[in-house]
Amino acid sequence: MLFLQQLRGELRKLYARPRTWMGYGAFLLMEVLILWVYRREGSQRHMRDLIERNNLEFGDYYSSLTITFTIMLLSMFLLGSVFFALVAGDIVAKENEDGNLRMVFARPVSRLRLLLIKYAAVCLYTFSFVFFVGISGYLMAVAAVGWEGGLFVMEPRMKVFAAYPDWWQGAGRLALSAAGIGLSMITLSSLAFMFSCLKIKPAAATILTLTILFVDMILQGFPFFKPYETWFVTWRMSAWVFLMETHLSWPKLIESYAFLFGLNLTFLTLGWAVFQSRDFKT
Amino acid sequence: MLEVSGLCKSFGGRPALADLSFRIGAGEIYGLLGHNGAGKSTALGIILGMIHPDRGDVTIDGVSVRSHRAHALAKVGAIFEAPAFYDYLSGWENLRVLMGYSGGFDPASARTTVELVGLSERIHSKVRTYSHGMRQRLALAQSLLPEPAILLLDEPTDGLDPEGIKWFRDFILTLRRERGMTVLFNSHLLAEVELMCDRVAILRDGRRVFEGAIGGLHDEAQLFEVGLDPWTAVADVVTACGGDIPAPGRLRLPLGADPALLVAALVRAGVSVRAFAPIHRSLEDLYMDLRHPESAPTR
Repeated sequence: MLFLQQLRGELRKLYARPRTWMGYGAFLLMEVLILWVYRREGSQRHMRDLIERNNLEFGDYYSSLTITFTIMLLSMFLLGSVFFALVAGDIVAKENEDGNLRMVFARPVSRLRLLLIKYAAVCLYTFSFVFFVGISGYLMAVAAVGWEGGLFVMEPRMKVFAAYPDWWQGAGRLALSAAGIGLSMITLSSLAFMFSCLKIKPAAATILTLTILFVDMILQGFPFFKPYETWFVTWRMSAWVFLMETHLSWPKLIESYAFLFGLNLTFLTLGWAVFQSRDFKT
Repeated sequence: MLEVSGLCKSFGGRPALADLSFRIGAGEIYGLLGHNGAGKSTALGIILGMIHPDRGDVTIDGVSVRSHRAHALAKVGAIFEAPAFYDYLSGWENLRVLMGYSGGFDPASARTTVELVGLSERIHSKVRTYSHGMRQRLALAQSLLPEPAILLLDEPTDGLDPEGIKWFRDFILTLRRERGMTVLFNSHLLAEVELMCDRVAILRDGRRVFEGAIGGLHDEAQLFEVGLDPWTAVADVVTACGGDIPAPGRLRLPLGADPALLVAALVRAGVSVRAFAPIHRSLEDLYMDLRHPESAPTR
């Protein structure tokens, strides 16, 4: 109960900072931009080609669900990661830089508990942000093309293709995929959180996190690393796409999420070990 | 109530604290004095568990801060110089967040404390709009929630105007009188320490070079500024009376010795006494002597 009260306090701090809302604003703008692009004739022609090449009716699958899926597929890794790294990289390092931690350390709370509260807040932020993007993207898409239609999924890199003509089925899969993205992105937030526990500036924690993410992404694209792609964090983080497959491959999903969970735990433990041993000078 | 024993701490090989020990009894106001970098804030950081000591320990009510930090700090409140609140939250929200770490937020006691420190009117404004004085009042409010038995004050009056300093001092003294609060007052404002504290320790380069009661500072010896002639005859007379000459123009007599007897003896020895005035030794005198022992021959 006390943990929840402390978590509420942490979330109150988190959402009272303008930089927390930057991500929301940026995504709303981007969604408007994507929808504008989707309304262009050239874009629709491209979508029509893609859908009809797979022997599906363009009218059935050019829908708010398909657009929402595309928004999440295209934006979450590149744009989302920036804001997750920013918020998680700030959460400890910024408070240390500003001197707020001194006030907290005058309180009878252990360092481990303090970190767990902050980590829980970061995870909640990450998870809820993904759903915000999904829901806001869907609502905008509904405003643009109406609510009806199925879901068309195509992700060549992960070799996933699926079509759900029924709205309910499509919406269910989309919600499931949002949960999967949320879990995947927690790994990125955990990495930034670990850096935030080090004796570095908040901006450095954010930059280090993004550097690791992008280096991982770039190397994964090299043909040389193709046989080893499953060892790349970003490949594992993309495992949420498997949730869109018609027949869910649970072993594949469990393996990837166990891999990510192990990483999260490692990052949290390392962060805590450093945080625990640090001196916080006044 | 609070016991600091054998604290040692180095940063990058440079000693910040060397075998610091002191003890503060219940209801006592204890001053920790020292120049910048003397180790005062390091000591406070260790007491709060923010800094890990290389050696030594701190116990609060018999509970070790090193091994049971959360339990030991359950009845401790602290104020820092330039307290860093969450500027983007209101004063009230800051109290809510900080009290959350101390076992939960109690709006009724928060309201009472806010009234006590005189911040009721602005408590729902964002902290970024507060003056330094208002921040210190908020710092005081948060340190008093919930009901501490010990207050740790790290240069709390720095940057306050004279009125603010007096208000703060009176407030702390009232707390001690009415609640029996124990206070560790960390400062380099000698006058404030002298006015507030019962006992004082002086740190120099991480070492305690003095500890004693404020009231007893004047009682170690009697010092006089004198105008005597001829000076050559003075030494024997002073020595015969149990005193000594710490510096030209100064005489020192042991506590309890009658200066009138010395004056009479000097006159009898043919010394002309043109001036004979007692020098009252202040905390500042003592501090300066200890800070610069090489240039303090007169004390």
